[in-house]
Amino acid sequence: MPRTYASAVAILLALCIGACGESEPQTVVIYSGRSESLAGPILERFQAQTGIAVEVRYGNTAQLAVALSEEGIQTEADLFWAQDAGALGAVQEEGLPATLPDSLLDRVPEYFRNGSGTWVATSGRARVLAYSPERTTAETRPASIFDLAQEPYAGRVGWAPANGSFQAHVTALRTIAGDEATQNWLRTMQENGTKNYSNNRTIVQAIADGEIDLGLPNHYYLYRFLSEDPDFPVEQQFFAAGDAGNLINVAGIAMLASSTRQTAALKLIDFLLSEEAQQYFVQETYEYAVIEGIESPAGLPVANQVVPDIDLDALSDLDGTLDMLREGGLL
Amino acid sequence: MTRVLAYLRRPWSWYVLAPILLVGVGVIVPVIYLVLRAFEADANTLGDLVFRTRNLHLFVNTLLLAAGVLALGSAIAFPMAWLTTRTHTRFRRVFTLFGVLPLAIPGYIMAYVLLATTGSYGTLARLFGIEIPRIGGYAGAVLALTLATFPYLFLNLRTALLGLDPALEETARSLGSGTRRVLLRVIAPQLRPAFSAGALLVGLHVLGDFGVVSLMRFETFSYALYLQYAASYDRVYAACLALMLLALTGIALLLEARLLRGLLLHRTGSGPPRRIRRTSLGAWKGPAYLFLLGTATLSVGIPATTVAYWMFRTEPGSLADLAQALWASLSASAPAALLATALALPIAYLGVRSPSRPVRALERVAWFGYATPPLAFALALIFFSLRSIPWAYQTLGLLIVAYGLHFMAEAVGPIRSALYQAPPSMEEAARTLGRSPLRAFLEATFPLLRRGLLVGVAFVFLSAMKELPITFLLSPIGFQTLAVNVWGHTNEALFGAAAPYALTIMLISSLFVGLLLMQSGRPMRS
Amino acid sequence: MRELLSVNDLTKRLPATGPPVVSALTFSVGEGEIFALLGPSGCGKTTSLRLIAGFERPNAGAIRIGGQCMADATTHVPAEKRGVGVVFQDFALFPHLNAAENVGFGLLSLSRAERKRRIEETIRLVGLAGFEERKPHELSGGQQQRVAIARTLAPKPDLILLDEPFSNLDALLRQTTRQEIRDVLKEAGTTTVMVTHDQEEALSFADRVGVMRNGRIEQIGTPEEVYYRPRTLFVAQFLGRTNLLLSDADGMEADTPVGRVALNRKAQGPVLLSLRPEHLTLKEATPGGTCAGSVLARAFKGHDITFTVLLDGSEYLVHTHNGMPFQPGDSVELEPIEPAVVLETSAG
Repeated sequence: MPRTYASAVAILLALCIGACGESEPQTVVIYSGRSESLAGPILERFQAQTGIAVEVRYGNTAQLAVALSEEGIQTEADLFWAQDAGALGAVQEEGLPATLPDSLLDRVPEYFRNGSGTWVATSGRARVLAYSPERTTAETRPASIFDLAQEPYAGRVGWAPANGSFQAHVTALRTIAGDEATQNWLRTMQENGTKNYSNNRTIVQAIADGEIDLGLPNHYYLYRFLSEDPDFPVEQQFFAAGDAGNLINVAGIAMLASSTRQTAALKLIDFLLSEEAQQYFVQETYEYAVIEGIESPAGLPVANQVVPDIDLDALSDLDGTLDMLREGGLL
Repeated sequence: MTRVLAYLRRPWSWYVLAPILLVGVGVIVPVIYLVLRAFEADANTLGDLVFRTRNLHLFVNTLLLAAGVLALGSAIAFPMAWLTTRTHTRFRRVFTLFGVLPLAIPGYIMAYVLLATTGSYGTLARLFGIEIPRIGGYAGAVLALTLATFPYLFLNLRTALLGLDPALEETARSLGSGTRRVLLRVIAPQLRPAFSAGALLVGLHVLGDFGVVSLMRFETFSYALYLQYAASYDRVYAACLALMLLALTGIALLLEARLLRGLLLHRTGSGPPRRIRRTSLGAWKGPAYLFLLGTATLSVGIPATTVAYWMFRTEPGSLADLAQALWASLSASAPAALLATALALPIAYLGVRSPSRPVRALERVAWFGYATPPLAFALALIFFSLRSIPWAYQTLGLLIVAYGLHFMAEAVGPIRSALYQAPPSMEEAARTLGRSPLRAFLEATFPLLRRGLLVGVAFVFLSAMKELPITFLLSPIGFQTLAVNVWGHTNEALFGAAAPYALTIMLISSLFVGLLLMQSGRPMRS
Repeated sequence: MRELLSVNDLTKRLPATGPPVVSALTFSVGEGEIFALLGPSGCGKTTSLRLIAGFERPNAGAIRIGGQCMADATTHVPAEKRGVGVVFQDFALFPHLNAAENVGFGLLSLSRAERKRRIEETIRLVGLAGFEERKPHELSGGQQQRVAIARTLAPKPDLILLDEPFSNLDALLRQTTRQEIRDVLKEAGTTTVMVTHDQEEALSFADRVGVMRNGRIEQIGTPEEVYYRPRTLFVAQFLGRTNLLLSDADGMEADTPVGRVALNRKAQGPVLLSLRPEHLTLKEATPGGTCAGSVLARAFKGHDITFTVLLDGSEYLVHTHNGMPFQPGDSVELEPIEPAVVLETSAG
């Protein structure tokens, strides 16, 4: 009997030592609004390089943001990687993200992070004018986004009012041109027969299919179509330099204050801001880098040559924009 | 209430009560959640949001869409069911399969395909030089939703036509009615319960859809609801819209109940099975084949070819990823289908065997779970599970329960029809031969429900395979189903990468449906 | 005869707040006896059967089988524990089992060999040897009926309940099957309660009959008793065609439209009498007689003749032997050959 007892204690001790001595493999849990085709490869590289296991919940950015709000501090997630700044803002309003260390924030220009330092951009997406080269010419294409409300473009333009990028763009217009002018533009655009699409991709597809001739999407969707069909009949350009129609939107990442694996989480953010990751975004997903010294994606002008001078933080008044869109019957 | 209590007091009912309680909780929890969220809004804003004219516009649009889909769906399902059961049309089994297969194609894929096929850059234009205007808006939404949902009508009508007593038809003929008159005056009225069961599924599907309507740019309630979550991360206004949507569902359910009131669902009597009389089509043969082929091409042929075309245009993806996604889909959908059917069984049973008012109410309640927008359903489950059972949150178990509760209503109908074929006296006979109520059910009635149970399992399985919002939010971390992959890739316009996943959904679903048809094709006799 | 089933004051309301479907039902059945509950549809006879079987719980009253209480205010023995067999109107055969498997369904406690023997024995008893492997849909209506009986008999229940057992058979089959089944039941010595709306079936099948109306039993008796001495107007009419005479009684005789007739019991004042057609005969009208009628119709049926006679504006039916010579138009008098039955004014 004493012997059995002793051996039981020994086994227990051994188990305990084993468990205490062996450090748990590090993991980090990320809710990603960026789909696996965009985020997967770069996250895999991170995992391979650091040995930190990345567990991802892929989903729709907005739905994940709402889910995070519902979960509150009980969430499993360490990081939230969103397709647009609006979703990050929504999560921030719930007080969920932690403040990021300056060492990370300082890696990007102020333009690419928010004022309270709770999120940082990982890549930039430009708002552009997409068009059919068959049904428009350089002369007939507008120089300013405000021109699209004019008669020659009646029934030929498409936009995506429900899309976060578009809404951020409207917010930018409000900061640049004022609420009244923006509201006026929204109204005249509608009166001009502008068509509503559910997202950027369908705008580009609709131009190809001849349903519309011009549209206001993000810049990189065209490259996806071109990669499948080099003769895809759509092209895109910026408006005249400095026009409010040119804007860089961001995909960004925030760390949740409730995270218990902050070291690993920060390592991942650090990696996403590394030259390697940034090159990946430019080359593989045709997005703009958020750190200095990396070229623009194929065939596009450097962002700061065309983009109007604007502070991304000013884009946080999403509610005002949503009210405006609702009043206009666009939402 | 007293009658409900009387029910609870019945000594045999724990195994009936347990699932019913689960269903009740599962259905009521989302409603409570939505009400809680809706009341967070201040009264003024809420009033403004609820009573704005845009809602009327959405309401009208939603009704128009439902009406359009039901009309077009009936126009396809009725003749198709009749041709495949009551005429000498050849390849009836093949055409029957084609009448079910569209269920394997997610609605948004159907919409993508229609969009990709038409227009000046459409596949038709590029491959064959046939340029038809890009389909979209109301017409596009009706077409895509009809093609994706008409099988619900078709399957219900087919079962009803097979179970119809040929004597009635023969009587009508002997009274001098021609084929057309027999169809309109004798057969059609008999199909009412089957039609209304199918129509309810289609109607609720249309009410809840946002994948198709958003792609087709047609604004309905659920579209607006989706925009609220998507655009403004607004849980409050979205909850209001969801409640309005549920109210609309309530109206649809009342309508269906009224339609069925006083209708005696006869069951086939004993005696040798009669041979079904088949009509020769004569001069109508050509148009009939054209119709069947056309429908099959449009609803299955074009989507399958288009997706295959996407696939072969791009480099093949990783087979391991595909296998993993397939396993994820199966491991959640298959148990969910079984669970949903198990939950639906007692509800259908009570509804048929003791159709009292509280039981009817309960049966209706089950539909609310189906009609609650999946995103709201998922959020409600997050809300409650984190507060009550945090250890279960985002586990495969909870995902399966969520699927099961959400899709259970789809299984009620087929089981109910099957129960009508199993007279209660059989169970009573088993009781007098020494079986407890549960064993009497299992030994006497259960073997006769095979067909109904299989159809129920299939409906839920096919739906769960395609499900998105619940999967996004409630699945275990890193759990990627086929549907999640399809969505992820198509959303980035990477159709080629999405194609293998979409094709796998279709393939697995068709295998499943094919197996099912083989099973249910065997005649059941009573 | 020892009492096997006793039903006391049985009352059932459906729904629980509605009017009673079965109301204060009281009767008992002796061991080996065949008892029939006879009544029109909706009279509560099937509900009574379901109460006895244990499918429903009574609102009041008690049921005892073999001296053991099966149901009362506090007890409810479930159907499977009552030792009661039921043969259903639709036979309720299990379509997925063959004839032998159906018959063996209730033989749970027997060993394999005993089970096999009992199945064979019962199938032989109902005359279905050779049909063991057939599925129900491969059997004729009469054969299905016998499988149903055999299935019920096989576990040797104390009591068998038959619910309109012959109504699913065609007329010709019904007569022969009925006699055969009666023989089988008698041979097995099983106590039986049958419900039916067919008076001929009840009278020819049962040892005793209880005639039900509106949830109550109006009369219990042997077939002869209830037929020839109905207590109430309802029983008199339900059990067959009869002539009703409104008359003025005085002791053992009464004045009636057909003349002065003898009564089966003492009565006084205005009473309603019942005279079965076969208890009347015809004779030639005596000239100047006050009770003369005329033959309206004559239906020759082989072994007998049914005459319709018009007298004082009322029609009377008379069954006579086939030698009665009258033709339509003949002037006749009606003559009772048995005492008329005085009917009670039944409640309701």
